[in-house]
Amino acid sequence: MDPARRLGPAQIDVVAQLAVSTVLLGGIYALIAVGLTLIFGIMRVVNFAHGEFLMLGMYLAFFAFTLEGLDPYVVLLISIPIFYGVGWLVYVLIMRGVIHASHNVQIFTTVGLSTALQNVALVLWTGDFRVIRPWHSSVVLRVAGTAFNLSQVVAWAVAVALTIALFAFMKWTHTGRVMRATAQDRDAATLMGIDTDRVYRLTFAIGIACVGAAGVLVSPLYAVYPQAGLQFVTLAYVVVVLGGLGDMAGAMAGSLIVAAVEVAGSYVFGAAWKEVFYFLLFIGVLVFRPAGLFGQRGAETLGA
Amino acid sequence: MTRLAPDRWTAVALFAAAAATPLVTRDTFMLDSVILILLWGSLSAGWNVAGGYAGQVSLGHAAFFGIGAYAAALMSARHLNPWLGLAIGVGLSIGAGGLIGYLSNRLKGPYFALSTIAFAEVLKIVASRWRGFTAGSEGVPVPFRPGFATLGLGHVAWLYLILVLALVCYALQMYLERSRVGYQLAGVREDEDAAEALGIATRRRKVQAVVLSAALTSMGGSLWAQYVGFVDPSHVFSIDLSVRFALNSIIGGIGTALGPFLGSLLITSLETYLRATFSGIQAGFTGIYLIIYGVVLILIVRFAPEGVTGIAARWRTRRDRAHA
Repeated sequence: MDPARRLGPAQIDVVAQLAVSTVLLGGIYALIAVGLTLIFGIMRVVNFAHGEFLMLGMYLAFFAFTLEGLDPYVVLLISIPIFYGVGWLVYVLIMRGVIHASHNVQIFTTVGLSTALQNVALVLWTGDFRVIRPWHSSVVLRVAGTAFNLSQVVAWAVAVALTIALFAFMKWTHTGRVMRATAQDRDAATLMGIDTDRVYRLTFAIGIACVGAAGVLVSPLYAVYPQAGLQFVTLAYVVVVLGGLGDMAGAMAGSLIVAAVEVAGSYVFGAAWKEVFYFLLFIGVLVFRPAGLFGQRGAETLGA
Repeated sequence: MTRLAPDRWTAVALFAAAAATPLVTRDTFMLDSVILILLWGSLSAGWNVAGGYAGQVSLGHAAFFGIGAYAAALMSARHLNPWLGLAIGVGLSIGAGGLIGYLSNRLKGPYFALSTIAFAEVLKIVASRWRGFTAGSEGVPVPFRPGFATLGLGHVAWLYLILVLALVCYALQMYLERSRVGYQLAGVREDEDAAEALGIATRRRKVQAVVLSAALTSMGGSLWAQYVGFVDPSHVFSIDLSVRFALNSIIGGIGTALGPFLGSLLITSLETYLRATFSGIQAGFTGIYLIIYGVVLILIVRFAPEGVTGIAARWRTRRDRAHA
């Protein structure tokens, strides 16, 4: 049963609680989705292995906590450079060779990467569900008839800060402008002297750093196991398609919508069925508005 | 046509060897290996009809496999006729395939792949949560009832039954290679706008390909459920399974009749070999062969996207040129 319902209306204002839960979930989904949409927008590659990097981030936090006693928020600081490096390496070793190949080649390259990473985790760390409980995950905050735990709030705040930082980077720095120019027209950008290979490398590294950091942030909230990435990444696809593939602001709005659907769906029908709602939403959007809710110009032909 | 002939001979040899296996040995392990090679080959051939010939690359074919598997298993578990279950599964998959095929008219490349994943995921959730009907995530055991009508067969009978399925799939693919419809599909795959301009009903052809593909995959799913004897939602609707169908076709040669069977021969043998070698360490084994899957997939699409049949064809041309 939903915790909000168990506590009853005397202590919890249901509508306020649902709204707060939506915003908290939405912030975390945004950080996962923003890397995916960045990689798609600039490289035109759907990274089917995106969830596996989230899973690796969660394992990093898990082992740092259980072996070294490091708090996930400390691990967050080292995880960003680590995953930036991982993304850089994966681009150089795997993605660079298929960046100009057909969609099918790209799809199966990242699908193959996803299968391989999942099973490397399975062989190394078994299929057990692993949970960490740092002190902040058991601190409950109560504000104006709503209740939530401290880990959730911090994860949200950090996710939002990172997403905004990325947004600002894309908008106002020279490198960000170069990246957006490449997204708009690869050939014209090359003619203007932009090293597109460097842009793609940077894009992939930043996208993976975002999702790795997201993995560390959610580690106190969800159990980690080799397929943990799957549940988040399917959701990130929904978010990204809702917002329009490649549209970063759209991804943020999409996160909130998906979170709202999930929260309201779990409240009304029970948590067991929540995924059905966002998948139905996903299929509905694909059928009726494949360019995303906000109708990004010609977005579905980008997939062609 | 010089390219086609050696493929044809390889296929004849492959199916003849499969048919002859029971004459040589009655070893259950050998028979089981051949059955699985033919079954995974047929399922991949089903995927190939949409993914290879029509260029509608799906990552959710497990949806049709699962529909077929559940239809047969639920009928068997209720002591009804599993053949009827197979037929119901095919009917449902045709409906679902029509729906997905309609989607494919609006969505291209990664969008289509994403929507097929979503479709399989929805079915997985429904099958695991609708406990009253499907028994939920515990899965459905299929009771063994001896007889052809109830699909409770020995290994030899299974081998010939699956061989028939494989031959049907192969023949259908041959048809797609040589017929007018097949050329139209190739047109749709290579350049949809050009095909449309030539007066090909591209939309209808794509839907037809996905529907046929769904029906074959569902049939394979029903037979798989009866053969293996157990159906559970997290396996039959998994992305891993969808990837496996695609992987066999890609390794063997996407869009060729022989490709899926050749890929299945390589991948299924590898799996059987690793299973025999690492049977002691269960979790470790699953992981190892899937790591190999993943790495092989990355390497094949990068360095030999036309698969084994393509490499063989290239090698033959080079040899012929050297002789000439």
